[in-house]
Amino acid sequence: MRDLRTRWSFWCLLLMVLTALFGGRLFDAPPEREVAAPFSKPLWIDRDLPPTKELRLTADAPSLRVDWRFAPPSRFSIRIDSSAGESGRFVEWRKPGALAPLRLAPLKAGFEADGRDIAFKRSLGLPPFGDASASLFSEQGEYELSLSGEGDFDGSVVVKLEGGRWGVLGTDQRGRDIAALFVAGVRVSLIVGIFATLLATFLGTSLGLASGYLGGWVDSILMRIVDLLLSIPLLPVLMALAALWGKGLWQLVLILSIFSWMGTARTVRALVLTLRDAPYIEGLRGLGAPSGYILRKHLLPETFPVLLATMTLGVPGAILSEAGLSFLGLSDPRVISWGRMLHEAHSFGAFTAGAWWMLLPPGLGIALLCLVFLDLGKFLEERVDPRLRKGVRP
Amino acid sequence: MISIRNLSITYGRMTSRGRSGETEAVKNLTLSVEKGRLFALAGESGSGKSSVLMAIPGLLPEGTRVSGEILLDGRNLAALTEEELNALRWRRIALIPQGAMNSFTPVLTVGRHIEEVLDVHLGLSKSAARERTGELFGMAGLDASLASRYSHELSGGQKQRAAIALALACDPDWLLCDEPTTALDVITQKGIVDTLKSLVDRKGVGMLLVSHDLPLAASACSRLYIMKNGALVEEGAPREIVARPKNPHTAALMNALLELEREE
Amino acid sequence: MLDIRELTIDFPPSRKRKAVRALERLSLRLAAGESLSIIGESGSGKTTLIRCVSAHVPPTFGTVSLFGADLSKVSDGELPALRRRCGVVPQDPYGSLPPSLTVLEAVMEPWLLVKGRGDRQAGERKARELLDELGIGREEILSSRVRLSLSGGQRQRVAIARALVLDPELLLCDEPTSMQDASTRGDILRILQRRQEAGMAMLFVTHDLFLARKAARRGLVLYRGEAVEEGFCRDFLAAPKHPYTQALVAALPKLTSPETTPASESGA
Repeated sequence: MRDLRTRWSFWCLLLMVLTALFGGRLFDAPPEREVAAPFSKPLWIDRDLPPTKELRLTADAPSLRVDWRFAPPSRFSIRIDSSAGESGRFVEWRKPGALAPLRLAPLKAGFEADGRDIAFKRSLGLPPFGDASASLFSEQGEYELSLSGEGDFDGSVVVKLEGGRWGVLGTDQRGRDIAALFVAGVRVSLIVGIFATLLATFLGTSLGLASGYLGGWVDSILMRIVDLLLSIPLLPVLMALAALWGKGLWQLVLILSIFSWMGTARTVRALVLTLRDAPYIEGLRGLGAPSGYILRKHLLPETFPVLLATMTLGVPGAILSEAGLSFLGLSDPRVISWGRMLHEAHSFGAFTAGAWWMLLPPGLGIALLCLVFLDLGKFLEERVDPRLRKGVRP
Repeated sequence: MISIRNLSITYGRMTSRGRSGETEAVKNLTLSVEKGRLFALAGESGSGKSSVLMAIPGLLPEGTRVSGEILLDGRNLAALTEEELNALRWRRIALIPQGAMNSFTPVLTVGRHIEEVLDVHLGLSKSAARERTGELFGMAGLDASLASRYSHELSGGQKQRAAIALALACDPDWLLCDEPTTALDVITQKGIVDTLKSLVDRKGVGMLLVSHDLPLAASACSRLYIMKNGALVEEGAPREIVARPKNPHTAALMNALLELEREE
Repeated sequence: MLDIRELTIDFPPSRKRKAVRALERLSLRLAAGESLSIIGESGSGKTTLIRCVSAHVPPTFGTVSLFGADLSKVSDGELPALRRRCGVVPQDPYGSLPPSLTVLEAVMEPWLLVKGRGDRQAGERKARELLDELGIGREEILSSRVRLSLSGGQRQRVAIARALVLDPELLLCDEPTSMQDASTRGDILRILQRRQEAGMAMLFVTHDLFLARKAARRGLVLYRGEAVEEGFCRDFLAAPKHPYTQALVAALPKLTSPETTPASESGA
């Protein structure tokens, strides 16, 4: 297994597993939380567009400077969270180059104002139409938000500036952070992919062993069931079952495994057929070894190399099936998966909005995960069949 | 004359962990094969004899290190390009590899198999190819009617003769045979050896026969080479080697074999 | 010990081939400690004979008595007890050993199956002795997996050890030295001879008349299912009567009189 460490897919998979387990900690908010304006672009494109920012003043940080080199934000809001206000103190806003700051709001507990509030605009001496932010951010330069005077203020002043950019990967139609959603999606893809395949392999191996070893009518019946299941088109059945049984994650895993054990069963059965008549097996049976012993100790271990490879190659199939079903809207809407992200992007107009950052990450994520397992599967196949290796005496 | 000088062959070694380390299969070997004569290379399994045979037409696996010279009429085969070797293979040097008799495609009759080779390598028309196949069968001691059979319908001996016919397709000067008689019955083995001998006598090919069956090799050839662990340990006329082996290993081997043959 | 009378075995026609008569009216007897060489090539029925004696192929006509029991009358449940008293060395060394076990485990397996786990220590001792006797006693070999590093010759010796671990009263071997080098062949025959002197009976199948003569005094020549010549092995070589036996003798490559290729005797 030393060669495993040289494969890129091993490291990629390791990274993905770590992301699935611990990735959530990178973000302060849970992925379902709305953090910015819908369809915000990622921070690293279109740098003229204002980013979404939150400015927070507390007693320890009574003033903040912000270097504003963009267009004004689309929306401006201010909220004061505290148990008690302090009279005589105000939240002040100094524009670049201005001598005196504007008074934005008195330091009153529970004060809330939005840039569209007419009262708020009037208090600032602004015309009643349009958003206050346009005049609050009339030019590019350094602005300062501060608390006037001194005192014991025990709360916080939160000023939200909504722009068109946010985060590493922007936001979706509801304003959720796509990077957080992406990280949450790794988990679902890995879980469904791996568990569905594990279950299918277990099912396929047991039935394949039984079919190959016992032969006779057991074999015939099982193989006809395999033929039947193979001839059924997968997607319509999955859709019907999803409608019948519900759209939960584990139902999905179960359904997917019921429809993917057949290939493994056939492979295992073929293997058992070649081994069953080996002289040593015949000798063991002749000595009176029970079938269970032969299956467990001799036939099953022979299947492991093949199983490992087919299992690894089966994971991409499960991942794609889950993604497909989610894309069609047949998965649990409360569960974040890459397929679901694509579904929402599609249904909620990402294409018309030109929000490619909603489509590329989950799409590329699915492709990458599949490639990782395909490469690992190829590696395992090479280990099983020495003929596939290079430069070695056959 | 094919003259091999100081040939060394090193393979990469396969263990359960993958490729690790190397094995020196052949160590500094020097031998020659003359036209019109049957020379044999004998040795235990793993002695390197098959490697020597495969080295001559350049058919060792990729990544094998070869050093030394393999001279065919002055040209060093070990230094030729793949294209140059391809021109020689089958036409001047024909190889009957180990297990050739089991390598016929199951979907074609043996006759068609040979006709295809003749078409590809010599560009013969269908009727010319069929005629030639009949000739080749005759040379290999097979009845021409067997050309319409599939390989699984033939006995072991018949399959081996078909493999010989295939090797003779392009009228080679040299025939290299790797274990042509293994897995065959004793009587069939003798038949094959007799056929090979008659090919040497009547067509004047030069033949190198590789076998682990020492008595068989000794009874077939006019000059015998014996290998052990990659090195040449004995060479000479078979009768000489049996009567007066120079190497202690060969002597022990001869004793064991003669013990079986003689009555106690 | 073994009494075979007029044994005839027919295989019914299948999709792949017509009906085949594998053995025709074969009779032979073996007493305890006796050995018999069966000389035959492929297609002679020798493998079918072995499989019949170990009760894997039923006779079509005739009787086979193993250890006094008529095999056609023994129930399926009683057969294992009889088979345990036989050892079988199959012809193909690559199918005769379980690939996933280590060499030591492979030899111990019959012992553990028959005597149960309680006697494990004794079984291991016995297996080690046997493997040592057969020349593969080195620890690296004993603990390596069968599938990985054994050559054909080594496999065959392990298969022989596996067949001998239960101290069988009857040993059935089908070409047990085919993959051996000339030097080890003699060693194996000596090992088998020692067992015979201790009372083991043996049926030794081979196509090599020299080997047959060394393995047993008496023998029979099998050709297409029929015993064409019976008697002492050395007579087969010295004075073969049946044309098939004569052809066999003529075909054997002999060191003592190597043939010469015309246009070659100059050697060098």
